[in-house]
Amino acid sequence: MSAAIPEYRPPLFSAQRVWTLATSTFTQLVRMKTFYFLAVFAVLVIAASNLNLLYTPVQQLKVIRETSLGAMSIFSWLFAISATAVLIPRDLEDRTLYTILSKPVPRLEYLVGKLLGVLLVIGVALALMYAFFSLILFFQEYSIISSEMSRMSQNPRYSLEDRATEAALISAYGPDLNLLYGVLAVFLKSAVLATVAMLISTFASSSLFTIIITTVIFLIGHFHKMAADFWVAEQQGALITRILGKVLVLVIPDFQIFNISDSISGGQSVAFLVIAQMSALALMYVIIFTIASWFLFSDKEF
Amino acid sequence: MSSPAVEVDNLTKIFRLSLRRDYLVAVQNLSFTVGEGEIYGLIGPNGSGKSTTMKVILGLMKPTRGTTSIFGLDSRDVRSRHRVGFLPENPYFYKHLSGRETLYFYGKLCGLKKRDLKARSAELLALVDLEDAADRRLSGYSKGMLQRIGLAQAIIQRPQLVILDEPTAGVDPSGSRKIRDLILKLKEDRVAVILCSHLLEQVQEVCDRVAIMQEGKMLKEGALDELIAVEDEVELVMKNLPPGLQSQIENLVRDDPDAQLVRSGHPRTTLERLFLSETEKGQQGEGKAS
Ligand SMILES: Nc1ncnc2c1ncn2[C@@H]1O[C@H](COP(=O)(O)OP(=O)(O)O)[C@@H](O)[C@H]1O
Ligand SMILES: [Mg+2]
Repeated sequence: MSAAIPEYRPPLFSAQRVWTLATSTFTQLVRMKTFYFLAVFAVLVIAASNLNLLYTPVQQLKVIRETSLGAMSIFSWLFAISATAVLIPRDLEDRTLYTILSKPVPRLEYLVGKLLGVLLVIGVALALMYAFFSLILFFQEYSIISSEMSRMSQNPRYSLEDRATEAALISAYGPDLNLLYGVLAVFLKSAVLATVAMLISTFASSSLFTIIITTVIFLIGHFHKMAADFWVAEQQGALITRILGKVLVLVIPDFQIFNISDSISGGQSVAFLVIAQMSALALMYVIIFTIASWFLFSDKEF
Repeated sequence: MSSPAVEVDNLTKIFRLSLRRDYLVAVQNLSFTVGEGEIYGLIGPNGSGKSTTMKVILGLMKPTRGTTSIFGLDSRDVRSRHRVGFLPENPYFYKHLSGRETLYFYGKLCGLKKRDLKARSAELLALVDLEDAADRRLSGYSKGMLQRIGLAQAIIQRPQLVILDEPTAGVDPSGSRKIRDLILKLKEDRVAVILCSHLLEQVQEVCDRVAIMQEGKMLKEGALDELIAVEDEVELVMKNLPPGLQSQIENLVRDDPDAQLVRSGHPRTTLERLFLSETEKGQQGEGKAS
């Protein structure tokens, strides 16, 4: 019997389908009112910028930077873990997955689409938060400098030079490119975290399990260098723990590489090379974990 | 020669039950073929393996043994799903989408282009009688409406094969009649349909061929007319029978040397009768085997 070859041979990977899945996931998450967090963020930043009780001018700007970047990180991590952990199991429970996978949608496209949807939400949220807090920082910087200058000009002890130095010192903590790098680091870290959560959720029995395991991996990942030194160098001990240690170090991503935001909120400049390296590593992690998820997910039965 | 819409060849599906070292044979050596444009009914009690068979055909599950194909393409090939539409049992779609957005979503997954999609969605919303609810979110849809939007998404890319798993479960009689009419409409358009249902009356009304499954095995399969015609029997269905006449007729039959009264009483759907007798036979067979 001749196997009829269909007249139309569609592509095996379609960016358009991935985009459809991603935007649908984005809409789903937005309609779940996740962006309400942005209001909380705005209140937090405004509160931080009005807390000028004990601070020096520089400290005041630092508080805004630290609060904002901190809140952005926490939002992104929580969101990356919980949204990813919930999305795929929910599709399965609601049997929405049946209707999607019974369309010509390869399983890799489904996974990439879901992940991309989560990352879109995080990206858009971070962009909005970044824009808002840069604006606040900009106005605060302006008002602090002008009040400092008028204060110093009334005191004959300060020379013109002193005033210029002070202004430069303050504006080092205003909005700058390093902040953008800091936000990028937050995004990349969340992207890796979301991919880990996706990998776990392809075999986890419940969303809670995924959330817990991902959080543990996230925490261990911050001590990666320490763990690597300890386990990889370790020559004593049972073979099994040595092997286990090495496997863990290889499997768990090094989340410490993304912690440039501490130095950035401190106003130090970060070399472009560090950013490029961090991005490349993040991309590598995302690709590896996505492939691993695909491997597990394509064997799954529904 | 073109390939049949569906070919199931010696399919066996065994589930490994976790924890216990136990196996469950959900489908056993099942073979059948559904031709182009044919309406094929798959009936069987709960747990007889109908849904499992559908899932293997759609590539949602892998066969343990045997193969399934859609228009000649193996079910494991994702491209086989271009020409099939599926309505699962008790479907839920994304509640945050409206009816129209739902159709756009599934249409785009099938690769439909924007302009075509708009026209096709409007056409389908009219077909399933959901024009008024098109822009409402699915979270406010009733069971019957969900089932109809489900049917619409199943045929969004004009597939030549539609698989419906219990499409009328939990739907009221008028909603269920609407779904039947839609199936008949598909038949007119020469779309092949596999209909899993336990609503035998409905299966009898629309199907060309019927298979009866039990415990993963095919008990009987054939053209509906042949299956339910019993050549050596005659059925008299009478209305307003005066008292006594029935026993007179029964006496006449008893007096005849060859004739035999098989049964009397109120008429039942013939397919239902067949179904019950076949599954009872199967039950007895099982009882002996174990
Ligand atoms: N994923 C699964 N894991 C284990 N057993 C399953 C699974 N899916 C179905 N079964 C079992 O396979 C049998 C057939 O189920 P199913 O195909 O859903 O029957 P039907 O659709 O005819 O009611 C049932 O005994 C059911 O419990
Ligand atoms: Mg079923």
